[in-house]
Amino acid sequence: MTIPTHQKVIFYLLLIVSAFVIFAPALIAFSMSFMLGQDVMSGKILPPSFTLDNYVTVFERVPLLRFLLNSFIISIVIMIGQLVLSSLAAYAFVFLKFKGRDVLFFIFIATMMVPFEASIIPNFQTIRDLGWINSYIGLTLPFFALAFGTFLLRQAFKQIPKELKEASEVAGMGDFKFFLTVVLPMARTSLVTLGVYGFLTSWNMYLWPLLATTTETTRTVQIGLRQLQTQEQLNEWGVIMAGAIIVVLPTLILLFLGQKKLQKGLAEGALK
Amino acid sequence: MKKWLIGLLFMLFAMVTVACSSDDADANEDGNNNEEETDSTSDEANTNDEAASDEKQVVTFWHAMGGALEEALEEIVDNFNHSQDEIQVNAEYQGTYDEALTKFHTIAGTDEAPTMIQVFEIGTMSMVNSGQIEPIQNYVDNDGYNMSDLEENIINYYKIDDQFYSMPFNSSTPVMYYNKDAFEAAGLDPENPPATYEEVEAASKQIKENNPDMNGFALQAYGWLFEQLLANQGALLMNNDNGRSDTPTEIGFSDEQGKSIFQWVENMINDDTFANYGTNGDDMVAGFLAEDVAMFLQSSASARGVVDQADFEVGVAFLPHPENVEREGVVIGGASLWMVDDNDQAEKDAAWEFMKYLQTPEIQAEWHVGTGYFAINPDAYDEPIVQETYEDLPQFKVTVDQLQSTESSYATQGAIMDMIPEGRRIMETALETVYNGGNVDDAYQTAVEQFNQAIENANTARGE
Repeated sequence: MTIPTHQKVIFYLLLIVSAFVIFAPALIAFSMSFMLGQDVMSGKILPPSFTLDNYVTVFERVPLLRFLLNSFIISIVIMIGQLVLSSLAAYAFVFLKFKGRDVLFFIFIATMMVPFEASIIPNFQTIRDLGWINSYIGLTLPFFALAFGTFLLRQAFKQIPKELKEASEVAGMGDFKFFLTVVLPMARTSLVTLGVYGFLTSWNMYLWPLLATTTETTRTVQIGLRQLQTQEQLNEWGVIMAGAIIVVLPTLILLFLGQKKLQKGLAEGALK
Repeated sequence: MKKWLIGLLFMLFAMVTVACSSDDADANEDGNNNEEETDSTSDEANTNDEAASDEKQVVTFWHAMGGALEEALEEIVDNFNHSQDEIQVNAEYQGTYDEALTKFHTIAGTDEAPTMIQVFEIGTMSMVNSGQIEPIQNYVDNDGYNMSDLEENIINYYKIDDQFYSMPFNSSTPVMYYNKDAFEAAGLDPENPPATYEEVEAASKQIKENNPDMNGFALQAYGWLFEQLLANQGALLMNNDNGRSDTPTEIGFSDEQGKSIFQWVENMINDDTFANYGTNGDDMVAGFLAEDVAMFLQSSASARGVVDQADFEVGVAFLPHPENVEREGVVIGGASLWMVDDNDQAEKDAAWEFMKYLQTPEIQAEWHVGTGYFAINPDAYDEPIVQETYEDLPQFKVTVDQLQSTESSYATQGAIMDMIPEGRRIMETALETVYNGGNVDDAYQTAVEQFNQAIENANTARGE
């Protein structure tokens, strides 16, 4: 069944319009990043004169490259940690039989109901007492265990036929080998999805990096963005927007690269 | 296929372990490449506990100055570090005032705690009550430092029971900004801005008549401005002399005083000359610069930014007051510097040296001109750079005049109480209700009840 051409045109027009509306804030930010403070404040949308000063100022004002590097390290470590722990946990919940497995799984899932903000103070005290403030480990470790990730991968692993497991047992394959050679390759889409999801959420974290760092050495870009804003004085929005554009770029690139897999994987989790 | 996967997984594990174990090494290496910052981290770790005599004494200074303010502050700190070779001050940004204060409360007493911290004025009581700070009065006494050399109307705020707990630092007051060009176009005298509520109302009407696209006046729904408008009438925010003689038990302003502000706003709403920007100050300034509104109230620290970014002549005037009362003046806003108790004496002494350095006329002059905050040390106003700036920017001088012509009284000394942040939120809600067409009497009554309740709750929480 194909859609008639005139209908297609209407659909695409609507899609273009809504894409534009949804993307508008980012576009305005982009355009503002090339404007002088005066033009931003008087409410212009397109830059009357083009300037790159804002980008220069951003790099002068905060050690943005260092923050970017920190954000990369932290996001990648969290992503890997989540993939490893979630896939191992999901494997246990699907392929290993033990008493109270389902009960345990539901308790596990229930932790999704506790928002991170609620556990932030105890987490902070633990990190503080361990002396992990201002260290990468303190910034990443609390995020390794992810109930959502386990849930997502469990759904993916469940689609793997039980017969495969039985066959591998007959062939004398151990659990770990089965996990590595059969389960992981089959769930690749979900793994990529989870990876991208984990990376993006960690990249966008604000509260925890703010709390767990007191110096600039381990700070992330999101704090850097905050640092560009002032209180009690006029904000230089051009500079702030230039910073925001730089910060958003890596996430955009990642999204463009992993978009197909991300959609597929998320839909997979939603179906079952 | 199999090998490839095992290899990949192995790599993942390896990366996790490496990433975790090499944290500290990483931090140090990166630091060395990165000059100043690295110094701060590695030094901090080493010197916090055992300050070797031949090493520089490190002082960790937490602040909440973002954006251009941070640049100005960093410059002063750098100058200080280069001016002598005994003390190294590391200024570290910790988020907004609120965030920095919260962070301090959670981290106080650990090795990560700073030597000194900048706290906004309404956090004063919460710092005094925290038990984590040492009053700077100790240093003033030991050192024979003369606090009375500093601006009287600023130190008045920070003097509590005849003691100084903290060193005043960045201070500002609200002023009225107005569009001189619009005044001229409407046939108003741009050199003679309205001084009373009634005059503001009349001027607003005239501006709107002349130019229907421009509103007359905007008041951001901001609790701080409400407090200032009260003080300008000589009204107390809280009883017991604004909490200066004893802990407050209820509000200190009369219905007439409190309601006058709400009534003023309502009059202008009825005249259709009031511009409502809600609680957002940035929107309001943007509206002013886009010539949507002709007058607004805002911190004097914005003066430079507003004047620089406007396409038109900007005037700065004193805060208005009701016609039937005398102008009393303004309360200081901003922040002060606190000494954190739980540190080595040598470290605290070094921080005190830095605090004194900040108060010298030259530094204060630089700070005043660079940021728009007042000079804490009035001698700074005689410095050449300040005089030059006043010639270019006469608006700057108005802000200082308003502060210096303030009558010293309990009203302008300002209220001290730990629930003021909550009180501000209550007043903001009430103002917004009126902006959106709510009844003045109802909104005011509710606000007063909630405010009194908040005071009571705060006192109960402290067991008083």
